[in-house]
Amino acid sequence: MARDLKKEIKSKLQDNIMQDALSRFADQYPGSRLKSYAGQDIEELRENLRCMKADAVEHIEELADKFEANVKARGGEVFRAKDGDEVKKFLIKICKENGVKRVVKSKSMASEEIHLNECFTENDIRVKETDLGEWMIAIAGQKPSHMVMPAIHLNRYQCAEMFEKELNEEVPGEDIPYMIQKARQTLRQEFLQADMGITGANFGIAENGAIGLVTNEGNARLVTTLPRIHVVLIGYEKLIPKTEDAAKILRLLPRNGTCQKMTSYMTMVDGPTPVMYKKDGKWVEENRKQYVILLDNGRLEAAHDPVMKQVYQCVRCASCLNVCPIWTLVGGHVYGHIYSGGIGAILTGLLNGIENFSQFSDLCIGCRTCTTVCPGKIPIPDLIDELRNRYVKKHGTPTMDKSFFDNVLNDRGLFHKLLLKAGSVGQAPFKSGKFIRHLPLFFAGMTKGRSLPTIAERSIRDRMPALEKKNPSNAKKKVAFFSGCNTDFVFADTGENVVKVLQSLGMEVVYPMAQSCCGKPILGVGDRETGKKAAMRNIEALESVKPDVIVTSCPTCAETLSETYEKLFADDPVWGPRAKAFCAKVREFSSFVAEEYKAQGKLLPAAGGEKVTFHDSCHMKRGLGIYEEPRALIDATPGVELVEMKNCDKCCGMAGSFGMKYSEVSIPMLEEKVQNIKNTGATTCVVACPSCMMQIGGGLDNQNTGIKVKHIADLLAEKL
Amino acid sequence: MEKVCENWPEKAFISGLVDAKYWTDFEANATAAAAQVYKVADYAAGEAKLKEVLKEYAPKEIIAVGGDENPALKGIYSRLSEDGTKVYTEKFDIAEHAPSADVGISTAEFGVGESGSLVVDNYSYEARVTSMLPFVNVVFVNANYMVENITSACQIIGKVFQKGYCGFVTGPSRTADIERVLSLGVHGPNKLIIIAVENEGGAK
Ligand code: SF4
Ligand code: SF4
Repeated sequence: MARDLKKEIKSKLQDNIMQDALSRFADQYPGSRLKSYAGQDIEELRENLRCMKADAVEHIEELADKFEANVKARGGEVFRAKDGDEVKKFLIKICKENGVKRVVKSKSMASEEIHLNECFTENDIRVKETDLGEWMIAIAGQKPSHMVMPAIHLNRYQCAEMFEKELNEEVPGEDIPYMIQKARQTLRQEFLQADMGITGANFGIAENGAIGLVTNEGNARLVTTLPRIHVVLIGYEKLIPKTEDAAKILRLLPRNGTCQKMTSYMTMVDGPTPVMYKKDGKWVEENRKQYVILLDNGRLEAAHDPVMKQVYQCVRCASCLNVCPIWTLVGGHVYGHIYSGGIGAILTGLLNGIENFSQFSDLCIGCRTCTTVCPGKIPIPDLIDELRNRYVKKHGTPTMDKSFFDNVLNDRGLFHKLLLKAGSVGQAPFKSGKFIRHLPLFFAGMTKGRSLPTIAERSIRDRMPALEKKNPSNAKKKVAFFSGCNTDFVFADTGENVVKVLQSLGMEVVYPMAQSCCGKPILGVGDRETGKKAAMRNIEALESVKPDVIVTSCPTCAETLSETYEKLFADDPVWGPRAKAFCAKVREFSSFVAEEYKAQGKLLPAAGGEKVTFHDSCHMKRGLGIYEEPRALIDATPGVELVEMKNCDKCCGMAGSFGMKYSEVSIPMLEEKVQNIKNTGATTCVVACPSCMMQIGGGLDNQNTGIKVKHIADLLAEKL
Repeated sequence: MEKVCENWPEKAFISGLVDAKYWTDFEANATAAAAQVYKVADYAAGEAKLKEVLKEYAPKEIIAVGGDENPALKGIYSRLSEDGTKVYTEKFDIAEHAPSADVGISTAEFGVGESGSLVVDNYSYEARVTSMLPFVNVVFVNANYMVENITSACQIIGKVFQKGYCGFVTGPSRTADIERVLSLGVHGPNKLIIIAVENEGGAK
């Protein structure tokens, strides 16, 4: 059933308790995580984990066979389940065979994924979650909102209500230790009386059939110790070759997951182990029964998918949620299925079908923050893009998107006129259109919290003929200027400044008129074919002037032109090499200028003055890896002094069309950014990205801060 | 008591990986993980330390494992009951009294400097309930049996782990599921007390 995501988001944003918990957590997490890694080479550890897991998925069948053989050799039973229904049938069968009346579980994402508990209640078998958070959530009939901290959205009083519901007695919410002891007593009885214990696994070792469990509470140790039957529900992605490979997971998972060097318990269980119980009043000891269920549910198909197999590198630490600007704002529940955040959208797509994916994929804005912390180094936004492409291949591009894009692509002059008209009548003709990723804002019904920029009367393409006349005579290099849509139509003044700065460095600047949109908006919605058309048009247009360098002052365009184009034509014998040569020439403005400044001996600290702060664009910092150069340029600019703001590289909330489609999420992100800028006492916020400029500029203006926003080109041109 | 490996130092330890020099890291990290850590010269001193820490809890019932493999511990366990405290060391007795015992005394094979973890061989049921059910868990370990990091620890375990149950114990049982407030002793022990013996031969 289609859900009203926007409505759900709104209600989450109004949940003050959750907002408070998440914002405190988002503030504390990055520092605590780093502290737990003190003295360790994080990048080396991440690479080791990535390699090991990437290799494991290549041999997944072999590993599974070995694992199965080793469990069986030790006396365990192995069942390979295609999907959740098969798991449930199998479990009910063994429950009946063994007279199981009571079941205890320690946390298992896989069992949530297939809604396992339902089958027990339907068959009158008592089932209890034993992880404190899961236990409370289950009492409330809710779903966990986070993979590691299932109850992070609740406060102590809400938790106390769950206790009261389960225990039928008054539980004071102020007293957390009391609640913990109540849980201990209550759940201890569950452990002692259970017939069957069900666990997931953080890893399964092929060479000896052991499984590993990482917990803090110790419930997994009790679940694997006290009941006489142990069931393991493990997904194929958890298989690793050897015991020593477990270290590659264990050195990262607790640090990223809970900021601990190690959790309280890391338990490895290999085959059926001894258990004692009373038979006819007398203690007996025997080996417990062990059943290992290997769950497929879409995993094996993913293993053989050249791109999606990377999800096997996921160790479910949830750190990608902890740093995600969207997740930390809306929480886990709006992602709908069990796995939330960007990785959740991907897993949902793979395990629950691509139809379920599409709506949650909107909640990834491609800021790449998660890619800087993921222990398995999964390029989450890239996998999301790939799934979007597939979705579009299957379902086609939404016609709105496509026809508008064709319009943008084919007749820039007409498009500019349309924009102007739209702006001047204050009425957006494409109001309901959602085609706009990385395009000017005015189409969408703009809401409070952000002022709109005006469309430039004269676009950069109208201004270029006059500007080109000022080119230096003995040019050092010939630069083709690629403006991108925002600079062309909205920030034409900035475009002019780009040209002036380049000319001041002795460059000849030319503007091939046939250039168009870089294609990111249409690629962003997953339409590769139309994206290719844009790419070919731009390659032809820019090649035609035979430039030494192609410069753009938009980092998103730079990323698309220098990286995506090459990938788009990777298999094309004609366009492949052509795109490659083209990509090699593309440079982002500030890094190119910094390099030229340096070569000309101008990249030296100048006398300070007015305070300015710098905002890192997501695509520039994490996509292109550029963040030092603009700072060096600010340092070299006389009369200004750089003061860093808090979370300078956190997304401003624009992120293409996201800022419009989900303005309820975008605006709080913007407000946080504006607050951080204000706190620096700077009079100007410098950016290097037109989209950020639009968003931040709008926010600063809306709040009447009096703080200006400037592109780095504007700042440099002022002091020429 | 059944174990994953009957003799860890001989059969599992890899030369060059186990070294007393990692003690300092172990001590710091175990302490940071909320364990109480004491290093003692020998078992005689260990016994004195044990009695001292037990005073605080005035246990009526103690369950204890590791005496069969280690005569020094066996001696300690038998002397513990001299004041009338019930000390159970036989496996079915342990099973019977585990839910009500106040203190469990167990052993660890070695420690991990990087994380302050104890590597425990918990093949037997009695070893598991002893370390998990009582509110207090006291663990004896050889202070010289330390490795640098988790990688070394897993290499050593991998050498002998063919069947059974083993793993790391790092501080007491904890949760942060309510408002991310750290709370100890949710399912397992509330206190983890490590007594590390420097000179094991001394009192044997
Ligand atoms: S790329 Fe950004 S928005 Fe997308 S999942 Fe990662 S952190 Fe979240
Ligand atoms: S994708 Fe990476 S960061 Fe996210 S849960 Fe998986 S391993 Fe952790």
